[in-house]
Amino acid sequence: MSQENEPSAFEKRTREVLEESTARLDGRTLSRLTQARHAALEQQARPARQAWRTLMPVGAAAAGVLAVVMITGRHGGDVQPGVEGPMDDLELLADADAPDFVDGEDLEFYEWAAGETES
Amino acid sequence: MREQDLMTSRALEQFLASVEKRAFKIAQLGLRNDDDALDAVQDAMMKLVQSYASRSHEEWRPLFYRILANRVHDMQRRRTVRGRIMAWLPSRDAEDEEDFDPIAQAPSPDLTPARRLELDEAIDTLEVAIQELPPRQQQAFLLRNFEGLDVAETASAMGCSEGSVKTHYFRALETLRARLGEVF
Repeated sequence: MSQENEPSAFEKRTREVLEESTARLDGRTLSRLTQARHAALEQQARPARQAWRTLMPVGAAAAGVLAVVMITGRHGGDVQPGVEGPMDDLELLADADAPDFVDGEDLEFYEWAAGETES
Repeated sequence: MREQDLMTSRALEQFLASVEKRAFKIAQLGLRNDDDALDAVQDAMMKLVQSYASRSHEEWRPLFYRILANRVHDMQRRRTVRGRIMAWLPSRDAEDEEDFDPIAQAPSPDLTPARRLELDEAIDTLEVAIQELPPRQQQAFLLRNFEGLDVAETASAMGCSEGSVKTHYFRALETLRARLGEVF
């Protein structure tokens, strides 16, 4: 191997001795080398999971901020008369005291039904 | 994990398994300490997988040994600085001693005692001679002769020209021959 040539007897002998020395590595060293290899390879599989773990709280925080902006924006921004959003529909449906929901004939029916239930 | 990643992972495992023992021996000869050598090898494995897994497989070996050489060099420098500081502090030899594990240190039963003794002497003599080489000669000798890298790969691993590799390797061989000629 002297400069890309066939190795001399001396080079071969030194290599053999080093190989023999390596073959004699004790169990503790071999075990730690295997652990090191596995630890290095595990880290290769980790980034995708880590990225997901990192992005989850960021996504949740972004969703929270968006919700706050939507709610506060609705009250704080310019309100256009006659233009109602989904939140207005919800408020209207949830308002039990709104009498306009029920027209005259239905009101009589509901009063009769309430009386029947009480008696 | 995608199929491509799985293939890369398998190839990386095969590669690391193929170099880990020689890498440990190279680090051990440079650092003269088993635990430090194991740390250096683990760091090199981590760095290769983390930063260079996507490179072509042919590039892994020179890259791995370059990372390892840098790590060994950093540890040697840190040790020199620590040595200077520790020289001013009281000795704590008793606390630094490692537990002796007789099973881990037990010799393999495959060889005859005479052959074992001969090899023990050869290994000790050669390793001491290699440890006493200047760092760049030591690196060139181990990467070329022991790890079997060609001149171009060794130059890439050492971060120098091919001409420098040839010079370092030639000088290392001369020194070792002069020292071990009679024994080997």
